[in-house]
Amino acid sequence: MMPNTTLQSQREQSSVYLDIEQSVKETTFETSGVLFISCAGGPSYLETQVRGILESQPGLTFKIWSGEEPGSLFVLLPGQSLDAVHFQGLLLKQRLQEIVADFDPRMTLASFQGQEELTQQVLIKMEDSVNHQASGEIHIFSKDDIQTSRSRILIVEGDATVREFLEIRLQMQGYETTVADNGLSALELIESWKPDLVLTELNLYGIDGLPYIHHIQRLDVDEVPKIVVLTEQRVEQTISLCFQNGVDDYITKPFSPVELDARIRRCIH
Amino acid sequence: MDSHLTVAIYFIYICLGLIGAGMLLLFWFRIRALGIAKKTQMYLQKHQNYFIFVQTHLNGAAELQLPPGKLTKLERRVIQQKLIEWIEQFKGDLRDKLVKLCHDAGFVRDDIKLLDSLFYGRRISAAYRLGGMRAAEAVPRMLLMMEKQKYSPLTIVIARAIAKSAERGDQLKEMLHHLLRHGKPIHNMAADIVMETGLDASRLLLKLLEDENPDFVKVALVAMWGQAVPEVVPALDRLVGAEEDVRAEAVKLYLSSNPVLKDETIAELMANPDSEIRAEVAKTLGNMHAAGSIPLLRTALKDQNWRVRNNSAESLAKLGDTGFEVLCQVAKHGSGIERETALHHIEKTMLEESEHQKLDQMVAYNKKKLLYERYFGVSESKPVRQVAAVGGDYTA
Amino acid sequence: MSVNVIYFSIMTFSFRNILTIFRRAAYSKFNTLSGSELVPSISLLVPAYNEEVTVIENVKCLLTLNYPTYEVIVINDGSSDDTLGVLRREFGLEPLPNPEMRNSIDCQPINSVYYNPQYPHLYVIDKPNGGKADSLNAGINLSHYPLISSIDADSLLEKDALIRMARMYMENPEETVAIGGDVRIANGCVIENGAVKEISLPRKMWPMFQAVEYLKAFLGGRIGWSSINGLIIVSGAFGLFRKDYVIAVGGYRGGYPGEDMNIIIKLHRYMLENKLKYRIAFCPEAVCWTQAPDSYRILSNQRKRWGRGNLKNMIENYDMAFNPKYKVMGMLTMPYNIIFEALNPYFKITGLLALIGYTMLDMTHWQVLVVFWLINFLSGYLLSIGALLLEEIAFKRFSKISDLTRMMFYSAFKFFGYAQLGGLWRIQGHIQYLRNNNSWGTMTRQSWQEKSGNAKSA
Repeated sequence: MMPNTTLQSQREQSSVYLDIEQSVKETTFETSGVLFISCAGGPSYLETQVRGILESQPGLTFKIWSGEEPGSLFVLLPGQSLDAVHFQGLLLKQRLQEIVADFDPRMTLASFQGQEELTQQVLIKMEDSVNHQASGEIHIFSKDDIQTSRSRILIVEGDATVREFLEIRLQMQGYETTVADNGLSALELIESWKPDLVLTELNLYGIDGLPYIHHIQRLDVDEVPKIVVLTEQRVEQTISLCFQNGVDDYITKPFSPVELDARIRRCIH
Repeated sequence: MDSHLTVAIYFIYICLGLIGAGMLLLFWFRIRALGIAKKTQMYLQKHQNYFIFVQTHLNGAAELQLPPGKLTKLERRVIQQKLIEWIEQFKGDLRDKLVKLCHDAGFVRDDIKLLDSLFYGRRISAAYRLGGMRAAEAVPRMLLMMEKQKYSPLTIVIARAIAKSAERGDQLKEMLHHLLRHGKPIHNMAADIVMETGLDASRLLLKLLEDENPDFVKVALVAMWGQAVPEVVPALDRLVGAEEDVRAEAVKLYLSSNPVLKDETIAELMANPDSEIRAEVAKTLGNMHAAGSIPLLRTALKDQNWRVRNNSAESLAKLGDTGFEVLCQVAKHGSGIERETALHHIEKTMLEESEHQKLDQMVAYNKKKLLYERYFGVSESKPVRQVAAVGGDYTA
Repeated sequence: MSVNVIYFSIMTFSFRNILTIFRRAAYSKFNTLSGSELVPSISLLVPAYNEEVTVIENVKCLLTLNYPTYEVIVINDGSSDDTLGVLRREFGLEPLPNPEMRNSIDCQPINSVYYNPQYPHLYVIDKPNGGKADSLNAGINLSHYPLISSIDADSLLEKDALIRMARMYMENPEETVAIGGDVRIANGCVIENGAVKEISLPRKMWPMFQAVEYLKAFLGGRIGWSSINGLIIVSGAFGLFRKDYVIAVGGYRGGYPGEDMNIIIKLHRYMLENKLKYRIAFCPEAVCWTQAPDSYRILSNQRKRWGRGNLKNMIENYDMAFNPKYKVMGMLTMPYNIIFEALNPYFKITGLLALIGYTMLDMTHWQVLVVFWLINFLSGYLLSIGALLLEEIAFKRFSKISDLTRMMFYSAFKFFGYAQLGGLWRIQGHIQYLRNNNSWGTMTRQSWQEKSGNAKSA
């Protein structure tokens, strides 16, 4: 880890971060949006392009810095909430792709409440988080990227759309998540990954329903995870059997995501 | 002979032509389907960022927009499909927000236009999507469509779309009317469709229960299965005495609301010719812990219907040691089907309750065990099952 | 020749219905139904005779269907291998002390019923050997629910197959007495966790012929027959029945193969004689994958068995043919089956002999022979192309272009040898029937895992 820390201290001394911190302090806004664009080997005129796109929108104030690595940019959007920043990110990405074909910029963005949240360390983490991404999706940098110990939730769901939604939603809430799409790999993951809570559909490939719940409880783990069922199955008998067999909560689809959040929180704490 | 041969040869040419056309069609369909699948995949990939954007900002106050830039027709369809998928899964504010997005993006407008298309297939698929988008403004048009439609599986597709989108109770009622006018006994299906509504279902069902159309009443009764609320009891009281058609359903629901039953009512219901009613009453008696009904249940063990017997035995097992003792007596001294039933339930009870956890459960179990051993001796001499005469029971 | 005419008209009915089927499959979401209390409960009956290799996989698959309330009843029909043992070990089953059999239908006395409260929806009946029909009857006697579904122990149901059928049933619950499912050949597909993961055509020749054959029979034939309510068979591999009517007609008949056709004929007869409105439907979107025999010997045994069962059913019910009392069944289905299914091979042979004799006498008319043969071949091939089109319009299960060309090729290739063999096997079956040979022939099974392993490596 040594080289890493030296690198970090080097980077801390670099003026970019200080500059950003400084300009945030100068603005009068409570919130400030930050967008980090990285494009290894991208064109040199990246900055001018970005500037042009942003300028074309009336009423938008911004500031741009070149990042540590070549071809990377920090954009500060004072007073912009997270969804506004995200929309700008989408817009920038699309426009840039229109101008340069097969151009693949990586982005991380965040919106900070209050000026003290935005520190050099956070900016560095933001810059680093770009490199950890496997896909070309825009990464939303949240507080959870900074925190380390979080509750782990295993999402077991056969339907890809719901699975993706739950994953995004729970990650935004600050949980660490893993997904499985069938009963058998779910059982394996519970043993190896040891989640605190399993959010699961009842109707799965491989193994499902009550035998599946039984299996979870008989697994060789120190602590059996909490089980929250999220399913289409509304037959009363099944629901009561589930509760008898140690399911902690039972939610039927279609579900209200807000309610789901609350129920999960209640189960974990 | 020659003319026959010419006809035959012409026939061969026709066959060849048709085969050729069929093959071409096949390839064309396949290539087109592959192309569409590929493009859909590409668009899904392209808009992945946008989809994540929507999912992360569903909670926010700001309104959602379509992705920036111009979209092709297929691209719009892909996005619409994704939105509909979410709408189907969610409830509450988040869904409303997505519905609004569909509306603002013009998806609803486009599909309403398609409802007037010349092609039946397009009309149906538009109705299906409109239901997915909960498009209230399309309901009158879809009701019209249902009115003209002959009964087919697709009637149900439209009915579902209407149920999902309707914003007023009377629209749902009209939909039910169209659905049930074909005279098919599809009350279960209708109940499932009605329950898809976004409106307050319990109030609507109460209204249906008061309706004079027996079909509507039946749908309401079926839909309420197992969730009778106190408000419906007066209506049920009336229906229990009503005509045969809805009676069984009404009694079932009535009993599930845990009513206080008078002894005469119980006796009368247990003598009802409808086996479903007898079975339900037998089941309820066990849950009510009405020890006074033991003689009734004892008699019901001889009932012709399997479910009545089964429920009676189950209820007896629930009614403390007196009830259990009656079962044991029947198993020891009875004969035929009543003995069969009693034996089965004695074994089941002993097996289930032997895994007791709480103290009072232990006490109850031991009391029953004592009875069991008095009648059948200690466990090595298990009661032997005799095979009942074949053909003894034709009710399943 | 007129076989093909009738077949053409049946297929026209199929084409008329295919768009409705496609739309119903595409626009009917069953997600609300699949968890609903309002859906009728079903008992699945799985007769198993010497199935120790595949039975676990199949039961596991059946236990994970997408359906609200159902039970699985496996009937071990006196297997000589360890079928019962593997089931008991895998699911921890214990004998029930006093199982409740209802004796609604005659069947041999059973040994015992096995059960484990941890798998609340699984029962295993152990009984002495008595044939498939007797096993099904025993299953009916134990079953608790109003609908029953018979499923072969060597088939895999798609997760949604049952709910799709139930939806069809709910659309017209009073009149529907039976619904058949679509049976497809699983050889060549990749199977994982008891589900077909990747669909592809069989690689070997025999299963490939059967795949094309099944496609033609199910899509081209049964959709059309069911639309005029003249369906004569609901495949034993996957069908749904109303229990009250099955009991009313006395359950399944033992002793001969073809019990699946027999029960349908009996249902038709019962409903028509009692003047009840009814329908026997075919639900092509409910799919069951089955393992086709992949060697000549097993295949020929299977087909001879079919021929035997078919003949028996026809002889038993010949009075229905040309009897207006039995409506479509009497005027169309039965005559069609007797003349064109049962007796077809004989017509072909005599026709061919006559033609050959005729042309031998007068060699100048050799063209007649060619023309005759060409018509036969081309019209048959046109029907196969029609079936492929139906598949393409409504289901699109095979995505690769190469699969399409292979199916086209085999549909044509079928007429050179395979079709003739089919006729031969049928005649052999008839001979067996007349000589009272009633053995089951051998049918060996391969494990699904092994299968999918092969498919992957190939």
